[in-house]
Amino acid sequence: MHRRDFLKISAAAAYTISGMPGFLARAAAQAGGDKTLVVIQLTGGNDGLNTLVPYSNGAYYAARPNIAVPRSDVLSLSRDLGMHPALKPLMGLWDQGQLAWMENVGYPNPNRSHFASMAIWHTADPSQASSEGWIGRISEQIGDPFCASNIGTATPLALLAQNYALPSIDSVDNFQVKLPGGVQDAFEAMLGSQRTGEAAYLEQATRSMLSHTARVQANIGKYKAGATYPDGKFAAQMKDIARLIASGTGQRVLYTSLGSFDTHAGQRSDQDRLLGELAAGLKAFYADLETQGLAEGVVVMGFSEFGRRVAENDSAGTDHGEGSVMFALGRGVKGGIHGDSPDLEHLNQGDVIYKQDFRGVYAEGLKTWLGLDARQILGGDFQGPGWLS
Amino acid sequence: MPLTLSSALPSTSIRQLSQEDAAHLLRRTSFGATESEIQALVGHSPAQAAGSLLGYGQAVQPNRFAPLDAATAGAAVKLVQASWLWEMVYTPTPLRERLALIWSNHFVIASDKVKNVHALQDYVTLLRTPALGPFPDFALAVAKSPAMLRYLDNDQNRAGKPNENFSRELLELFTAGIGAPGRPNYTEKDVLEGARGLTGWSYQGGRNQVKDFAEQPTFVAVPKRHDGGQKTYLEQTGNFTPEDIVRLAATHPATPGRVAGKLWAAFVSSTPDEAGVSQLARTFSQSGGDLRATLQALLTSEAFYAPANRLSLYRSPVEYLVGALRSMGRPALDEKTVLGLVNTAARMGQELLHPPTVKGWDGGREWINDTTLLLRMQAAAALTLGKNAPQGEALTPLTALGNPGGLSRALRGLNPKQRGYLMLISPEYQLI
Repeated sequence: MHRRDFLKISAAAAYTISGMPGFLARAAAQAGGDKTLVVIQLTGGNDGLNTLVPYSNGAYYAARPNIAVPRSDVLSLSRDLGMHPALKPLMGLWDQGQLAWMENVGYPNPNRSHFASMAIWHTADPSQASSEGWIGRISEQIGDPFCASNIGTATPLALLAQNYALPSIDSVDNFQVKLPGGVQDAFEAMLGSQRTGEAAYLEQATRSMLSHTARVQANIGKYKAGATYPDGKFAAQMKDIARLIASGTGQRVLYTSLGSFDTHAGQRSDQDRLLGELAAGLKAFYADLETQGLAEGVVVMGFSEFGRRVAENDSAGTDHGEGSVMFALGRGVKGGIHGDSPDLEHLNQGDVIYKQDFRGVYAEGLKTWLGLDARQILGGDFQGPGWLS
Repeated sequence: MPLTLSSALPSTSIRQLSQEDAAHLLRRTSFGATESEIQALVGHSPAQAAGSLLGYGQAVQPNRFAPLDAATAGAAVKLVQASWLWEMVYTPTPLRERLALIWSNHFVIASDKVKNVHALQDYVTLLRTPALGPFPDFALAVAKSPAMLRYLDNDQNRAGKPNENFSRELLELFTAGIGAPGRPNYTEKDVLEGARGLTGWSYQGGRNQVKDFAEQPTFVAVPKRHDGGQKTYLEQTGNFTPEDIVRLAATHPATPGRVAGKLWAAFVSSTPDEAGVSQLARTFSQSGGDLRATLQALLTSEAFYAPANRLSLYRSPVEYLVGALRSMGRPALDEKTVLGLVNTAARMGQELLHPPTVKGWDGGREWINDTTLLLRMQAAAALTLGKNAPQGEALTPLTALGNPGGLSRALRGLNPKQRGYLMLISPEYQLI
């Protein structure tokens, strides 16, 4: 295919085709303030005990003769807890008070099924009745179907609103429409045909896509690379998130995933590698934002759908558990450890018992960072650790 | 549960298929079809057409993919996937392949865990054959397949060290389903007792997924691993064997409704229709779980041909690509291109033999988001305008949109390739 055979739809043309007048698009971009929450999903059930290690507790070493992180390797953060050595790139942020850990986070009646538990985190509904995501509800409250995106190919449940799905952008560079030469008018006529039912939904979805791609491409030049990112998919996702933040397209929440943390076997190779990718990617991301003067407006919050059992299994791994850790990063964050060290003496069938409801952690982000009505989004009032300053 | 007097599924009043009826039937059963394939069904009765579409054998097309000779397990998996896509494009009996695809989204296994070539190929072959036996036999054959034994760990399930994974999904996903709030179809105890009953099945050969992907695995029942004690499962008590457990689950009273619901969502409409589904379930259970009879009833029903239900189902990524190629008359493609198409479908969200979870792909509107729409546009360009576009028949409004007059104003003035492109990116083409 020759380049000259294609033309990129101009921003103006796309707005026209999308049916969304320019001024409306701009107004939507102002809604919800100017702060961004970046949500990182560690998929598969990240083992909290090897992430934030209770290194002063003999019970930890007794339960994990093969896979515990040796005391001498732990990056100590307090008298009792320290980070997995692979998280070393985040020590700078810890020292600056910009890294927070939340201990023993979970929800009532824990579920050890991946997709049930993930659905609970995505909908903020432990009864699993809802089919709408908490970030979908954010976009409904703000009133902008492009105020949040997923960086990846499949839109997670968290980003489903009642009548639409928030966009998935698998790469910013590919997020543009290139129509072959000579079909522009035909394309507009095709979209303008009368339709009902699912065909009408698809037409609307196409118009939304045109509007979103135009909005991103029109503004993406505002990003000026401020750091070198390591190789790998996660770092590339973080860089795309930085580009979207710099472009100022009104995205309040940006979501991405890393995994799989489902370490039933050989945990020390898989989890170590993934934590290393996570830390290196986040470090570069923050450096990039700092250089561009954007760091003040961005906070990262990370979670996993459950933790893992205290005792290791026969395959140098761990099985599904319950309560786990969350983390948050950024200038706006109140650095430190929020919550107590995990109680390894009183377990629930071999699992760490949760002490903080994850919805309390979400609530703090919604109210204090995004300035939103958390009760409406979460379906109730939840108190959480004060992880934002 | 209240007694429902379901009558039989009402048949369509259509006596002779029109062009649009034939195009609709072929979209839903054959991924897509050419003008002459559509015309060949015009004037036939719905029953004749459905009967001939369902009367397929087991022959597969030759291809040159050689997964057993692959250098790595990962490469072998890709070749197995490509070989299946090849069959979807070139087989003269595409309904068999569409059904196999639907079953691969029901009795889910995935290639992140199952990389053995024979296990994967035997699984696909099995999915092509359900019309040869009633549903409980089908479920049993799947339960014994090395692919399923490995995927849901039933090969690890043994007396004294139970592994519930397969037992749970057998009830939750493959047969009865969870049931309604307050009226569950089974209990946690059933899952545990089912696991006890399912102990002792395993397979030999090809156990190492990385090294032994070319070795043939064989099912084996290991008596000393089987928990032979008494179990109470789904309100029945006995010293149940694994086969007993699978049959009890497959003949649970809620299973027909669930299977009927899946077939409805795959062939009629994504909007649930309680009356229609329960009528179909009745046909299913009265026939002893005969899938061919059930599909014949479904494909000749009033609901299937109802105008409101046309263009109401979403083409999955694989159906998007295969539909275009079949509507183009199945042009010659080289193996490298077909491997590329497997990859394209994967980027659009559907990697063959690799659903993201054991629940399978939810499908429907979930196939559609900004990124996947862009990918569909790119694929459309590659299939029609690109310099390596397949050399096939030009797409027409009847073959691509199901309606000979579709998008006539928009298509005016475009050359055939541009018309093909525009139709493939239209809302109408995304639907069957």
